[in-house]
Amino acid sequence: MIVNKKIITKIEGEATLKLYKKNEIIEFAQIEFWQYRGIEEFLKNRHYLDACVINPRVCGICGHSHLIATAKAIEDALNIEITEKAKILREITLGLEIIQNHIKWFYLTLYPTIKKIDFFKAFEFSKEIAKIIAIIAGQFPHNSYAIPGGVTCDLTNLDILKIKNSLKKMFDKYQNVIDIKGDSKDLENLFNGISKELGKSINKFLVLGDNLYFKSNGDVEFVKEEQSISFNKNVLYKDEFVEVGPLARNLNNKLIKVIYNSYKDSIYTRIFARIYEVNLIFKYLLKIIDEININEKSYIKPKNCSGTGIGIVEAPRGSLIHKVEIENEKIKNYEIIVPTQFNLSNGTKNKPSAAQASLMNENEKFADFIFKCFDICAICVSH
Amino acid sequence: MHSKSKVIWIDGVSCYGCSHSFYNYPEIKELLEKIELIYHPLLPSNEFKFQRCDILIIEGAIKNNFLRLDFDLIELISKLINLSKKIILIGTCSVYGGIFGEGVLFNKENKGKFFKYKDKIISIPGCPPHPEWIAYAIEMILNKKRLILDKENRPKEIFSYTSHMGCVRNEYFEWKIDAKNFGEKEGCLFYEQGCQGPYTHSSCNKILWNEVNSKPRAGTPCFGCTEKTFPKKNLFKTETFMGIPANIPLGVSKRAYLTLAGVAKSLKNERLERKLIDDSE
Amino acid sequence: MSKEEKKLEIMKTALNLFAKNGFYNTTIADIAREMGMSVGNMYNYFPSKESLAKELLIYTSKLFGEELKKINEMDISSKEKIKKIVELYFKMAKEEPELVDYFMRVYLSNKEIFANGCEGMLCVSAFVTEIMIFFEEGVRRKELKNQDFFAAFGLFMGYLGGLVFLFREGILGKDIEEYTNSVSENIYNALKI
Repeated sequence: MIVNKKIITKIEGEATLKLYKKNEIIEFAQIEFWQYRGIEEFLKNRHYLDACVINPRVCGICGHSHLIATAKAIEDALNIEITEKAKILREITLGLEIIQNHIKWFYLTLYPTIKKIDFFKAFEFSKEIAKIIAIIAGQFPHNSYAIPGGVTCDLTNLDILKIKNSLKKMFDKYQNVIDIKGDSKDLENLFNGISKELGKSINKFLVLGDNLYFKSNGDVEFVKEEQSISFNKNVLYKDEFVEVGPLARNLNNKLIKVIYNSYKDSIYTRIFARIYEVNLIFKYLLKIIDEININEKSYIKPKNCSGTGIGIVEAPRGSLIHKVEIENEKIKNYEIIVPTQFNLSNGTKNKPSAAQASLMNENEKFADFIFKCFDICAICVSH
Repeated sequence: MHSKSKVIWIDGVSCYGCSHSFYNYPEIKELLEKIELIYHPLLPSNEFKFQRCDILIIEGAIKNNFLRLDFDLIELISKLINLSKKIILIGTCSVYGGIFGEGVLFNKENKGKFFKYKDKIISIPGCPPHPEWIAYAIEMILNKKRLILDKENRPKEIFSYTSHMGCVRNEYFEWKIDAKNFGEKEGCLFYEQGCQGPYTHSSCNKILWNEVNSKPRAGTPCFGCTEKTFPKKNLFKTETFMGIPANIPLGVSKRAYLTLAGVAKSLKNERLERKLIDDSE
Repeated sequence: MSKEEKKLEIMKTALNLFAKNGFYNTTIADIAREMGMSVGNMYNYFPSKESLAKELLIYTSKLFGEELKKINEMDISSKEKIKKIVELYFKMAKEEPELVDYFMRVYLSNKEIFANGCEGMLCVSAFVTEIMIFFEEGVRRKELKNQDFFAAFGLFMGYLGGLVFLFREGILGKDIEEYTNSVSENIYNALKI
């Protein structure tokens, strides 16, 4: 057996992939993240509102999910209710973050592992999507407009009109990437000459967040972290490894279900679910934007100053969990579990994690492709 | 034809927000076609190897015992600095240290590990820096134009402004009307909510983010993210000494500021005391 | 005598009359008579009693403000500054009782006279600004407790005003300046960190 150690880059940070193989076939894989940035320690003894500035800096591509999870965790801890308006605005900005993430991932991260592509296509979308977020949140990346109690902005109908028009325009344009019927030239081209059966995994799915149209199928109480060979901890659900992310949370969609029935949890299904999810989010956002009552309050000042809470959101890569303990407005403890930890845990050959299982028994020339189809965020792992 | 300038974009301890901010630059394609991007941590590029380059762009902080591309980060940066003609530090992390470590040029208030290379460094702080600032620094070097820098090596064309300049809440600042709460169009965020706009060097409110907005315009205070002090503690609360802002606008004496503030507060602007939009006549 | 000097003399005369007969009982004609001027000529200097009252306030505030500024600029601790301010106040109360009287009785009890053009801190800003600077620096130097401005301001000025009032009413057992040390000590103890 040959062991091949390979540094994987272009994943918002780095990871080491150790491949145990026979001939060119991968028998087992181990994934190591070796970096640590200490965000949780940095938060201690700060006012809880500071977390709304620090936590987005966990990640430059999905920092907004961290912001929303932060606000939700603190709201849970301090027993805060927010208005419908604030809820809808958060749904819109978080939904848009997922959209820009998926498009960048498809053209910038995934495609180049297999085929050449004009990756500038990604920016034609992402910069326009970022602009819509900015109308609501001030800027993208790294805004802090969602704070415990609501949102800081106070939009006018002019803003809403602008947002709606841009959403429609981007939704239309996205039909050229993958249309609502599921047809995608770029996806077919990507798999031209590659089996759609590639990279089947553990077939166990978890959804913990209930933002956007997603429905939770689990309880955070059963999520456990355990030490692993790597800096990052393994994350298990009811003592088993699970897959989180777009495939997990869209299995109830008819079209995705059809593909799943044909190819199970292969990387084709996973990639399809991810890029098709963009259409579903666009549709959902165009519906809820009409439900905004502009006269509602944006923010209600919190009354309590101590407590413990959990904030969960479905982030671009899956279920993101923030836990906070607040004492007298100060953060006493903070804990973050990111989706990549679920998908890229280090299990054993007999009990592999989702990413490990999908690599096993495949040709090593597809390693990068299979690995990156989970949309790894090394930087989120090394918070 | 001249060969294209060789650019290496290297990452220290980062969140990659600088890269993702840069992706929003409207002319990114045209700009990247003008250069030869030898290495970038996220964009498609060749495998990393040490080589000479015209411009080295550093994103992220430096830190001891941190591996990057299987090299010790500080050794890696040191080698690259010696191989490059010009260096652009992008982001508050690489200029001052920010959240994650030490800066390349400065370590917060102090000189940084690579201070002796000051002459070939351009600082573009910001968390993240505005895409136009990054593009501007690259273009200025490509076009061999003279950059006027301040004493922290920041281009004055960007950083001699404060983020207060151009803020739509300026009228409230003039009349000393503080925001009563978050989530309202009315009021200035300098007095209660912690806004650092009047003493933060940046052109955020002049050129706007994503071409449409800024944090204070969206009701979020400026956190001074371009400064060596970022991130201060209590970012959503104005530090006051006996009710008086501990930090006052740049360039004015405390006595002059307090006199002016007292006058403005005493002479009320009735239009601004009310809600901007309501059903009243 | 220049116009400014003449104005100052009129203000001082008015101060005396206000202190003696009260603000409302004093007319422009009374002031003119005391100055040996015609009422018509008086109006060349002050178009109304209200304008005279406002200028007096600005004058008094500047006078206090300038003295406070000197103290603020001294390289001494907040504790020592408090003592200097108390000394200044008590000395003024003794040497220029009309001035202190005016400030306390006319300004603080007749706010409506100043409603137009002297709102809020406009006419007393020279004085209030220096008090602000004193407090702000005390907190910055970690000598005074960080608290609401008016809570501190009221404690300091209210206390001094109360003593001056007792002094002017002839109730104080001792000379007011003999209270300097104990009053300074009390103020410092109340404001210190």
